Amino acid sequence: MIFEGTDQVRHAVRAVLADVLGLSAERADAFTDATPLFGALPELDSMAVAGVLTEIEDRLGIVIEDDEVDGDMLETFGALVEFATRKAIG
Amino acid sequence: MLRLGPTDAPLVLIAPALFEEANRTRAFTVAIMRGLAARGVASALPDLPGTNDSLMRTEDARLEDWRAAFAACAAERRAVGFAVRGGALVDGDADLAGRCHLSPVTGAALVRDMVRARQAGARDSGERFDAAALHSPGPAVELAGNHLSRELMTALEEAQPSRADRVLRLDSEPQPADRRFAGRALWRAAEPAVDAALADAVAADLADWTRTCAA
Repeated sequence: MIFEGTDQVRHAVRAVLADVLGLSAERADAFTDATPLFGALPELDSMAVAGVLTEIEDRLGIVIEDDEVDGDMLETFGALVEFATRKAIG
Repeated sequence: MLRLGPTDAPLVLIAPALFEEANRTRAFTVAIMRGLAARGVASALPDLPGTNDSLMRTEDARLEDWRAAFAACAAERRAVGFAVRGGALVDGDADLAGRCHLSPVTGAALVRDMVRARQAGARDSGERFDAAALHSPGPAVELAGNHLSRELMTALEEAQPSRADRVLRLDSEPQPADRRFAGRALWRAAEPAVDAALADAVAADLADWTRTCAA
């Protein structure tokens, strides 16, 4: 799949968070770029982080290196979308 | 071993998902078994050596023993194979009437996911975890809640899914498939969950296909 824009990536990341964390559609749809993630969502523990990253890799066809994973990229929904967009589109 | 369905019916022998994915998909797998039974198809879900009710310690588990044990189950009675996720790494030596995989995954991807969870946990606690250490000899390693031998990790990293006659996947997966279903990737779900509609759709497909293979 070719990802042509941030909106597509944002949609994919939102779906991954909903699926992996078991969030309702309403809750996931309400995420904005400023919505805090790691440390703010009780569902997002370290096991869930691994699931989220691996599922993003599978759906976007990207590879996330371990040294790229840091607190900043998981701080907000917008930061995660920005990171995934950079990896998927360049 | 969990068995459901009529004894004289066509049989589906299930290779379960592995490690934490096994826990996350156990209830879902049993929901598929119920769906098969409701359609007059029997199914059996064995415990691989070192998992669930098996008396063997998990850290003594080896991939070739899993393959041999699954093949021994298949030798007892003619069956169609159904592998969930990493189960597709285990069913290759079995003599089956047909082989169906649900979202098969490489062993390398499974190891990567477990190492990543361990690293995320290590970051939280300030401990350091070096994934490269897995490749040097040493005692069993705790990964995502399982004590696993380094030999098993190394064998898994090379392991590819067996050749399937039919591959089922979710809409969200990019890899090729014979049929796709809408649904959640329950093997990644933070809490074990069942997608009843997905389980029923998979059971319906598998029941029809099992009858085709058995005919």
